[in-house]
Amino acid sequence: MDRDDRRARLTAHSAGCSECQEEPLPLDAVASLLEDVAPDLDPAALSRHTFARLQPELQRRAMMIGWQQVAIGLLLALLPLPFVLAYNAYFLRLAYDYLSALLPATFAAYLVLSYAASLLLLFAATYAAIPVLLVQRRGHKHTALA
Amino acid sequence: MASDEDLVGRLANGDEQALRELLRRYERPLSHFIYRHTGGRDVEDLYQETWLRVVQHAARFDRTRRFSTWLFQIAVNLCRDWRRRPPPDPVAAPDSTAPDHLQAVETRTDATRLLATLPEPQREVVLLRYYQDLTEDEVAQILDCPKGTVKSRLHNALARLAAAVRKPEH
Repeated sequence: MDRDDRRARLTAHSAGCSECQEEPLPLDAVASLLEDVAPDLDPAALSRHTFARLQPELQRRAMMIGWQQVAIGLLLALLPLPFVLAYNAYFLRLAYDYLSALLPATFAAYLVLSYAASLLLLFAATYAAIPVLLVQRRGHKHTALA
Repeated sequence: MASDEDLVGRLANGDEQALRELLRRYERPLSHFIYRHTGGRDVEDLYQETWLRVVQHAARFDRTRRFSTWLFQIAVNLCRDWRRRPPPDPVAAPDSTAPDHLQAVETRTDATRLLATLPEPQREVVLLRYYQDLTEDEVAQILDCPKGTVKSRLHNALARLAAAVRKPEH
């Protein structure tokens, strides 16, 4: 706020204050008095020191929140897993029944087990990628904000 | 440009850039407010403590409120607590022989001393209303009192200052 703003505020107060209207105050003199208060400070240096002091707290908080998000993401991803596994087990059973009617039982079992192993590998890779992607996404977000 | 309130939201997630920006926006008004409130003592401690509280409580900040109101509310409370502590040593006078500088320091000291003679509630109102970009409603919110009380304190403070102008100290 500059001198004029301050003077305008004093005038506005005086205009709306019944006590000031009964006993008018020397607003110009008071405004001059208030104007003379100029702190001998270096605000930028204060901010630098403050930032240095608070930076570890912010880093700790950012890391905590990052891990919370990873944990929540993993939990959400794990929720449908039992249903997916049950569905696949049912589908593999059907496939085995169908194939064993057409092919020798050992060969049918080999085909179904190979397919089951591929599915397991795919699930493992998908779930392992979830935390990696979440951490990467968080990193990109921070870079964009900076 | 992000609003102060958005920056506080990011600060709650530990965003360092948000803190840098808030510090840049408020370093001048906040440090000057604390300086004037305490007469220049323990400014750095109180300034850091204010921001520490902001960081600690950023997650609970009500985004419907103005950040500046919240910030100054924290600063006012800390300055009040500071005043309740035992009195510290007096501030050493600046060492300078330049006449202009001496005159400036003298004027500043006079004005600071006059402000310091005001009772705390009146000084707070003057500092918030005439040195910060705050409305009477916001001052009332910061000081947790009715708007009428702000007006009345303001009048009493101005009357005291006017009396000081009319009868300068010898």
